Amino acid sequence: MTDARGGRTIRALRSTRAWKRTVGVLVALPIWAFCLAYCFPILYMFMTSFKTEADAVPPRLFFVPTLANYATVLSGGILPYLYNSLIITLAAMALSLLLGLPAAYVIVFGKLKHPDSVYFWFLSTTLMPAVSVIIPVFMVFRGLGALDSRWGMILVYMGANIPIVVWMVRSFLKDIPIELLEAAEIDGATRLSAFFRIILPLARGGIISTALLVFIFIWNEFFFAVNLTYVHAGTMPVFMASYMTQEGLFWAKLSAISTLTVLPPLILGWISQKALVRGMMMGAVKG
Amino acid sequence: MKVNRSKGYARVDGLLLPSIVIVALITQIPILVTLGLSVVRWIVVRPDLRVSFVGISNYIQLFTTPSFLGIIVNTVVMTLASITVCTLFGLIISLTLNRQFPGVNIARIILIAPFFVMDAVAGIVWKTLMLHPSFGINSVIANLFGVTPVDFLGHYPMFTVVMLVVWQWTPFFVLILLAGLQSIPEEILESARLDGAGWLRTILRIKIPAIANHIEVAVMTGLIFILKVFGLIYVTTAGGPGTASTNLPFIVFRTGFYRWDVGRAAAMAVITVVLTLIFLNLLFTLVRRKSRELEA
Repeated sequence: MTDARGGRTIRALRSTRAWKRTVGVLVALPIWAFCLAYCFPILYMFMTSFKTEADAVPPRLFFVPTLANYATVLSGGILPYLYNSLIITLAAMALSLLLGLPAAYVIVFGKLKHPDSVYFWFLSTTLMPAVSVIIPVFMVFRGLGALDSRWGMILVYMGANIPIVVWMVRSFLKDIPIELLEAAEIDGATRLSAFFRIILPLARGGIISTALLVFIFIWNEFFFAVNLTYVHAGTMPVFMASYMTQEGLFWAKLSAISTLTVLPPLILGWISQKALVRGMMMGAVKG
Repeated sequence: MKVNRSKGYARVDGLLLPSIVIVALITQIPILVTLGLSVVRWIVVRPDLRVSFVGISNYIQLFTTPSFLGIIVNTVVMTLASITVCTLFGLIISLTLNRQFPGVNIARIILIAPFFVMDAVAGIVWKTLMLHPSFGINSVIANLFGVTPVDFLGHYPMFTVVMLVVWQWTPFFVLILLAGLQSIPEEILESARLDGAGWLRTILRIKIPAIANHIEVAVMTGLIFILKVFGLIYVTTAGGPGTASTNLPFIVFRTGFYRWDVGRAAAMAVITVVLTLIFLNLLFTLVRRKSRELEA
């Protein structure tokens, strides 16, 4: 603090809490305004979802909020898609973890000859664009009757997200000293029980965050969903796209559907963002 | 007592197999099949033209079609422009947010929101509520200034797509870069202050080099994902007008699932992969040279 220059009163004033708070608020105001403006499209969508269609187009600033859109939307064709999204996302997330967790465990604590090569192989699969696999996957799925099926989508999303689980979880497991496992071994624990008693509790936070991220990725996924599903296994993004083309003029209802669709990933995203950064940076630095 | 790791842990190594099998089935083998299909003529809706081996003629045809070359240019421009702007905005915003002020955590949380909004919704909201020339915020603002609203999607489709990508991805850059800024040890900043370094100098000479790793991760992740942009284009411009805002993923989709020209679409997909690899390679080379400079 360079208070020495100021006079006594100013110094006294500056040191008061009130002054500090005022300065803080003055600095904060433009930043706050910017953040709100940046997210305006989302806030505006949220707002429009409570308007009547007449208040939405053309937009009116003042309106009486109504829940009618949500009532209409939820009694319409959205439910099967919402159900598909939930089932496919939860199942693919759980299965990706079920397979990806042990894989990461083996890469970090196992006795592989080239654990890093295996890790980089997983990593490299996430670099490839989805378009490079879509045509064969489509054809094989058509042959197997997996097109427009939930299990087909679950399988695709597992293939796409197991590498992400391995990538993230490996970085969390690397923090656990191997001595802990060895000590457990001496105490007579088997590998399996060491995994459940030591690894899982220690990496719990990281694993949960990874699960949330995978949930978001699958929930939001568009490319595979649009190309591999129609009506039976269609997820929310597919519903959004078709609603847009068929009833795109009903902006209030469109906003209500959009709000319902983005809320789960938004909430989970806010919870898991710290782990996202950590997982990504560790993956890069410790790679 | 020493634990015999080789004996103890080798047995669990088999746990790796299921995930390798699934990932290979979904991501690796199909790429090889795509490679194979790219040298075949196979148009599903034309059974009269029999499926036949045509060598590299799919590629030759693509590279001699001006509209396809334009699509490659679109992809490159879209990706580079988005990443450049995201990095720049990401730096400015994260430097701004990297301070204590009332509600700083809530401000950061609000700002990250667009990143978690799915492509389909982001595209639809921007297309209708925001940019619609008659009823969107676009028209409200234009009316305020007494000018005719701009038809963004019709007249500036590439600009619009880049703008939406930037809107979605800048928060991700902020998230990563802010974490980097917060990890700079206070002593380093303190010693810079004692040396009398101004704020700009501190940013350019100390803060940015200190978060080089974070910038790298953000740019690389951004690159991989922005090259794949599909949903945004699908719901906003649909690649149009014409092919003005079509990128490689979108043309693969059009060729494969509208025209059912499997061979040509596969060739396009292979080109997309090659382009991705070129981009990543360039980035790695750049990073390696930079780190060698820093070491020297």
